[in-house]
Amino acid sequence: MDKKQSQDFLETALKRQTQAPPADDAAVERVLKRLSDPLPRQKMPLWRLPGVLLDWQFAPAWPRMAALACCAALGFVIGIAGVDRRFDAGVVPFAIASHSDIGSIVFEPEALTGARP
Amino acid sequence: MDDSDEALMARIARGDERAFRALASRHLPVMLGLARRILGNAADAEDVAQEAMLRVWTHAPRWQPLALFRTWLTRVVVNLCLDRKRRAPWVALEVAGEIVDPALGASEKAERDERERLVAAAIAELPARQRAAIVLTYGDGMSNAQVAEILDTSVSAVETLLVRGKQNLRRALSA
Repeated sequence: MDKKQSQDFLETALKRQTQAPPADDAAVERVLKRLSDPLPRQKMPLWRLPGVLLDWQFAPAWPRMAALACCAALGFVIGIAGVDRRFDAGVVPFAIASHSDIGSIVFEPEALTGARP
Repeated sequence: MDDSDEALMARIARGDERAFRALASRHLPVMLGLARRILGNAADAEDVAQEAMLRVWTHAPRWQPLALFRTWLTRVVVNLCLDRKRRAPWVALEVAGEIVDPALGASEKAERDERERLVAAAIAELPARQRAAIVLTYGDGMSNAQVAEILDTSVSAVETLLVRGKQNLRRALSA
């Protein structure tokens, strides 16, 4: 085989050996099946962030607004009508100092001048 | 509805899984074939094709239609193949070729098959980038410019890869 024939053989063999094989349907099905699992999260580019924010629905939903207004009105009524005082009835509203506490109330003289408060 | 690759990619970028499945079904057969020819291993080729399609999904929002989708996907597949070849050298099992049936008796056929087997074995021994360049040029009939775009290199570098690849093949075949 001379050089020209050798070159031709190599070119032909390369084309034959590297040509696309017939589609392997079973392999395609296997890969597609593996791809049917939950897909991973997509990577969002930073330059799309303003668009995402613009797409965001900032408008409040009316049922939520109504619920919020009801809660506010209920709080106002409870505050005005004093309904909450019944819950506080069992608690003494002011502090009591007993005789035993007196000993703990010590006023230290001021270190430099000796003045007492 | 526009079902071009670019239109499907725009839908995938918005999280449309049906568009993704349509695009995967369209390109998987070719990408599997390409990966198999570069890697020489069907199981690895399936892994690479799956990984490439997952990259299509995850990178779709960032994808810019600067080049044809197919060119971009081919580049992804080739890069994944080169990474895999770099990590774990492939043991050439599939290049052993079919055993020649002695019943056929044709010595010419046996000789031709033997030469083909030698060529296949020599291709399998080529460095990964030379092999990828040869597969894309001879197998897929791409121009040097297209191969250069996929391999992310210059046209002259592709020409060098092809020349060196063929030199290596001749050396291997003459040994």
